[in-house]
Amino acid sequence: MFTPSERERYDRQIMIKEIGQKGQERLKRSRVVIAGAGGLGSPIALYLTAAGIGMIRVIDHDQVELSNLNRQILHWEEDIGRKKVDTARTKLRTLNSAVEIEAIDETITEANVSQLVDGCDAIVDAMDNLPTRYILNRCAIEKNIPFFHGAVNGFEGRAMTIIPRETACLRCMYRGPVPKEKFPVIGVAPAVIGSIQATEVIKYLIGIGKLLTNRLLIYDGLKVAFNEFTVNKNPNCDHCGSLGREE
Amino acid sequence: MPIKVYIHTTHRQFTNGLEVVAVEGNTVGECLNQLTKEFPGMEKALFAKKDKLLNNVEIYVNHATAYPNELLKPVKDGDEIHLVTMLAGG
Repeated sequence: MFTPSERERYDRQIMIKEIGQKGQERLKRSRVVIAGAGGLGSPIALYLTAAGIGMIRVIDHDQVELSNLNRQILHWEEDIGRKKVDTARTKLRTLNSAVEIEAIDETITEANVSQLVDGCDAIVDAMDNLPTRYILNRCAIEKNIPFFHGAVNGFEGRAMTIIPRETACLRCMYRGPVPKEKFPVIGVAPAVIGSIQATEVIKYLIGIGKLLTNRLLIYDGLKVAFNEFTVNKNPNCDHCGSLGREE
Repeated sequence: MPIKVYIHTTHRQFTNGLEVVAVEGNTVGECLNQLTKEFPGMEKALFAKKDKLLNNVEIYVNHATAYPNELLKPVKDGDEIHLVTMLAGG
């Protein structure tokens, strides 16, 4: 059931026949964890909060720096030096006070990841490095929680949705570690990719549309072109295949 | 009809800015050999050592992954090879 205020707030999306009141109620009952409150995490968190997800858990261990502000739109000049999860919580609560925001100031590790994502219906990848993405990917598969991948560099970005035990995962094409390096990026790239990830989460939670599964979407902002590539579940994958560790 | 190799944005500095290079070959590996002969800068952009792709390079043939054993993947005239790099930023 919705309050009159909620009915008014979500009126335009309840009008969408694929969402309707049932879909909106489903969003309200949902719990989503967003791993990272940076360039991708900002639009993901803003749009999922605006859409009326019941609970959003934001995890990040960083503090806001001036060099973040070209893309991390949850954080403003007045936030420099504050914990990102604290400024994220402040902004998101201001946007939609009905959404429960959990702010977790922690580094995601193999040791704590299971607890950090516990009780959530979806895990959204808003990380800035591959090793932590793989930690999340493995945990998502082991806990059977859908994982919504996104990554950016420059004007480019990519997204893919992973449904554990059904579709290809982030690790299915793994060949080995990639050196970590400082990546160039302009804010409009994570804006596009984060919005796609948020779209996927909403579709999944309501059960509508065609998910971006077994399909890697690559966006080239310089050409404003999208390319889609088919990927396959790897039976020998060390996360989701026969080489995965026993649950 | 040759095989078209689509060069990733970050690699076009090695192909004189070309986005698409036409090559010939029966496998992805043969096509990339021709590519690197014509544009030697692509060697370091794609390979860690001979016949060993860098870990961050992904190859798609006709918009489908060529993983694993990408270099052995057969191709024919008219096929399209996309060379893509993994992204890590967020």
